[in-house]
Amino acid sequence: MSYSTQLRFVAGALLALAAPVAARAAGDLNLFGWSEYVPQTVIDGFTKATGIKVNFETYSSNEELISKLVAGGGRYDLVQPSDYAAEVMIRQKLLAPLDKTKLANLKNLSADFTGRPHDPAGAFTVPYMAGSVGIVVNTEKVKVPVTSYREVFQAQFQNRIVVLNDNREIVSWALKSLGLPINTITADSLAKARPVVANWVKLVKVFDSDSPKTALLNGDVDLGIVWSGEAAILWNQHKKFRYVIPAEGAHQFIDVLAIPANAKNKAAAHQFINYILRPEVSKLISAAFPYTNPNAEARKLLRADELANPASYPKEGKLETFRDIGRMASDIDRLVTDLKSAK
Amino acid sequence: MLLWLLAFVVVPSAILFVYSFCERDELGRVVFSFTWENYQRVFDPIYLRIFVRSIGYAALTTAICIVAGFPVAYFIGRAGEAWRNRLLLLVMVPFWTSFLIRTYAWITILKQEGLLNAVLQSLPFGLGPWDLLYTPTAVVIGLVYAYLPFMILPIYGSVEKLDGALIEAAHDLGAGPLRVFPAVILPLTLPGIAAGTLLVFVPAIAMFAITDLMGGARVPLIGNVIQNQFLQARDWPFGAALGVVFMALFAATYWALLRFRAREDSIG
Amino acid sequence: MSARVELRNVTKTFGTVDAVRDVSLEIAAGEFLTLLGPSGCGKTTLLRIIAGFEQPSSGSVWLGGVEVTHLPPYRRPVNQVFQSYALFPHLTVAENVGFGLRMQRVPAAEAAERVREALELVSLTGLDARSPDQLSGGQKQRVALARAIVCRPQVLLLDEPLSALDAKLRHAMQLELKRLQRQLGLTFVFVTHDQEEALTMSDRIAIVNRGRIEQLGTAHEIYHQPATPFAAAFVGEANLLEAELLELDALNAQVCVKGGLRLVLPATAWPEGAKTALVSIRPEKIHVARQPVVAANTFEARVEDEVFKGATDHLLLATAAGTRLSAVVANESALGEIFHAGDRVFCGLHADDLVVLRAE
Repeated sequence: MSYSTQLRFVAGALLALAAPVAARAAGDLNLFGWSEYVPQTVIDGFTKATGIKVNFETYSSNEELISKLVAGGGRYDLVQPSDYAAEVMIRQKLLAPLDKTKLANLKNLSADFTGRPHDPAGAFTVPYMAGSVGIVVNTEKVKVPVTSYREVFQAQFQNRIVVLNDNREIVSWALKSLGLPINTITADSLAKARPVVANWVKLVKVFDSDSPKTALLNGDVDLGIVWSGEAAILWNQHKKFRYVIPAEGAHQFIDVLAIPANAKNKAAAHQFINYILRPEVSKLISAAFPYTNPNAEARKLLRADELANPASYPKEGKLETFRDIGRMASDIDRLVTDLKSAK
Repeated sequence: MLLWLLAFVVVPSAILFVYSFCERDELGRVVFSFTWENYQRVFDPIYLRIFVRSIGYAALTTAICIVAGFPVAYFIGRAGEAWRNRLLLLVMVPFWTSFLIRTYAWITILKQEGLLNAVLQSLPFGLGPWDLLYTPTAVVIGLVYAYLPFMILPIYGSVEKLDGALIEAAHDLGAGPLRVFPAVILPLTLPGIAAGTLLVFVPAIAMFAITDLMGGARVPLIGNVIQNQFLQARDWPFGAALGVVFMALFAATYWALLRFRAREDSIG
Repeated sequence: MSARVELRNVTKTFGTVDAVRDVSLEIAAGEFLTLLGPSGCGKTTLLRIIAGFEQPSSGSVWLGGVEVTHLPPYRRPVNQVFQSYALFPHLTVAENVGFGLRMQRVPAAEAAERVREALELVSLTGLDARSPDQLSGGQKQRVALARAIVCRPQVLLLDEPLSALDAKLRHAMQLELKRLQRQLGLTFVFVTHDQEEALTMSDRIAIVNRGRIEQLGTAHEIYHQPATPFAAAFVGEANLLEAELLELDALNAQVCVKGGLRLVLPATAWPEGAKTALVSIRPEKIHVARQPVVAANTFEARVEDEVFKGATDHLLLATAAGTRLSAVVANESALGEIFHAGDRVFCGLHADDLVVLRAE
C-alpha cells in the first residue's frame, strides 16, 4: 500500500465508525443543556405529558453554549445558561422575552432567586437550579480543618487536590483570597493574582469540571474545590465528604432556562419551562442532582435528609454571582494556560 | 471525489485560514477585519513551549507505538491466512465501542483504588500502590492505547507484502535472527512504519480528551489550548491561527517523509 | 572446498502428508546432482532440508562428515539460489552480492574484492550500482548466483533457478552453470522438473516421486536402464508393455507382450521366479526398415501414423498380432528411407534394449 491508499483506508474506516446524526422533526423541542443536569425521567415525563419529543444536546461550559449559539443558528429552542452568560445573551439580544401568561407555575419560585442582577425583571430567564463552588474534604484522609482557599492550597496537600477545570473559577478564588473583586477584573488585579495561581496550580492533581467527584470517590485525591451539587452527591454516598463555603466567600451560580431569540418552537419551550416549575417535577431534579432548588413549593416536598445536605443548602457563607467580564476571559485563559504549562 | 475533497477538506481549511486573520467581539463572534495579532500570539513563548511539549509527547507515543506495534504487526503479517483475519479483527475490536468509554476503562484500571494497584498489592512483594492516574505516564499510556492500531495496520500491510524468501535468503547467507531484522526486515517495512508514524504522530499532537481525562488536565497540550479557544475563551480567531500553524506542521512532516521516500527510491 | 552431502533415512511430514519418505542419499564432493521429479514430489523439500529451512521429522543430514540436522541455515556452509531469486530490493547489485560477506563480517576491502570477482565470474561487471528491479531476468539470475557463490559455500543448492527464463537463455545458462561448477569444483544440488535440464548438466540424477528416490544414476543409466515405470516414462519416451514369460533357458527368456508379439531378452534380465513383468522399449531403439533386418528380435509391422519432426520421424506401428509400438527413426539423409502411413515395414530390436522394470 502506498501512503495515500493507506490514508484513504484509515479515513474510510473512521468514516464508517462515525455515528449517524439523529434526525430532527419539526414539532420537537430542541433542548441544549448542561451535561449531568437534566434527569432523563423529567424529559420522558414531559414527552408523556405533552406528546412533544425532546432532542437533548449537552455542553460542559457556558462558553461552549455561547460559541455554539452564535455559530449554530436556530438549532435550539431552549438553553440553560448560567447567570452571567444569560446576562451577556440578554445584552446581545440573543434571548427572546418570556410570555409569562404561559408560565403559570412561576409563582412557585422563591424570591431569593428572582430579580437578581443578571435579569432584574425576570423578563428572559427562569431559575432552574442554583449552587455554589466550595470546598469538599474527605475527612477520613484530611484531619485538619480546611475552610478557606488558602487552607486548600497548602504544600501538604500537593497532588491531593481536585479543582474545576475552569480558568475563570481558579482566578476568582485567587482574587477572593486577595480580597479583590471578581467581577471587575483589571490587568493590575490579574498581575496580583498571577503568583497566587502559579503556586496553586502546582499543587493540583486533577482539573475536572465534568465530574470532579470521580477523583474523590476513587481515592485519587482527598480534597478539592467543586460544584456544590457534586459535593452533595458525595455527601449522599458517604458522610466523610464535607462541604464548606470558603471563608473568603464563594461564587454562587444560578442556572436558568431561557429561549434563544431565533428559536423555532417557542411554544414548546414555554411548555417545558412551565413543566419544570411544577413542584413534583422540580423535586425529581433535586433528587438526581442535589443542587439548591429555587422552587419554594418543591422544597416543601423534599425529605429532611435532602434539606440537611450541607452542600445543597449551606447554612452560611458569603455568596456572589459572576458577571460577564468580556475580553478579560481571553487574558484569564492565557494566564492559566501559561501557569499550567510552566509546571 | 473532487466534490468530497472540496466539501470536507478545502472549505473547512479555507474558513479556518480566513478566521485566523480575524478579530473577535465581546461574545466571541468572528469579526472580519484583518490582523496579524493571532499569529503573533501563536509564537508567544507560552504557546511555543506547549507546542514543543506536545511534539515531545507525540514523539514518545509514536516511538512506543512502533516498538510495541511492530512485533504485533509482524506476528499477524506472518501468521497463516486463516489466523491473519481473526487477529486483525482483534486489533479492530476496540473501535466497536466509544473512545470515551475505553478511556474510562483505563481510568478504572489506573486509579489509586483501581485494578492495577489491587493486583500489585496482592502480590507477595508488597508493591504499590502506584500513583499512575493523572500523571504524564497515564497520558502516554492513554495516547499509546488510542493510537496503537493506527501503527499496527500500516506496518501489517508492509509485513504482509514482505516475501518470505527474502528472509530465508538472509538466513541462508548467514544472518541470524538478530541480524535479519536490521538488514532486511526493517528496511523493507519502513514504508509501513513511516505511514504509521504519520498516522500516530500528527493526531497525537492534537489530542485533548486524553490529557483531560487521564492526565487530570494538569499539563495543557496544544490540543487542549486549541479546544479552550473554541469552548472556554471564546477566541475562535486565535484557535484558528493555532490550527493553521498545526496544519502547516503536518504538511511539513508529510513533505519531509515524501522527500525521504523519494531519496530512498532514487538510491534504490 | 566442497563437501559431501549425506541424507540418512530422512522423513518429513507436514500434518498428515509425508513430503519425504525415508530418503537416504549420498552426494559426493564436487558432484553435480540433480533432483528430478514432477511438482509436489518432495524434491524441493529435500533441498530445503539440506539448506536447513526445514527440519526432518526423522533421520539426519550430514555435511562433509559433520551432522548438521539441527543446525539453523545461517550456521550451515551451504548457500542457495532461489527460484524467485529473492534479491533484496532495497540493496544494489553489489550490496546484494556482498550481503553474505557482511553477515560473516569479512573486512570491507576483502569483501569488495570478492564481490568484484563474483560479478566477473557471472559476467555482470559494471552493474554494481544497479537496483535489482533495473535488471533483466537473466541478470537477476546471475546476481542470485554470484550472491550464493561469493560466500564460498561447500555446497550450492539451486531450486529451479532457470524456470523463469525463456528457452534460449535457459539453454545458455545450463551450459554456464555446468562450466561454473567445474571451475569452482563445488558440490551442486540442483532441483528441476525439466528432464532435458537434468540430462544436460548432471553427473548423477535422482528421480524423485511421491517423496521417494525411485532411481539414482548417471544420465546414461537413467535413460538406458530405467528402473521403474515412472523413471522410464518421466525421462524420455518409452513403450511400456506388460510381458508374460513363455520360456526360460540358460541364455534367453522368451516373452509375449501385450497384443501378442513374441520377443526374447537376456535370461539374466528377467526377474527370478516372475511370471509377468513390465518391459520398457525406447522408441528410437526399434530399428525400422523396408528390407528384412538382422537382430535378436525381428517382426513385421504396419505404419499406422507418421509425424515428421525434422531431425526425427515418429511412427506408430502395429504388428500383425496387434501389438502397438511407438518408434523414432533418425532422418539421417534427405535421400534416406521415408515412411508413410499404411507402409509395411520390417523391424528389429536388440535383446539388450528390452529393459525389465521393477514393479512399483
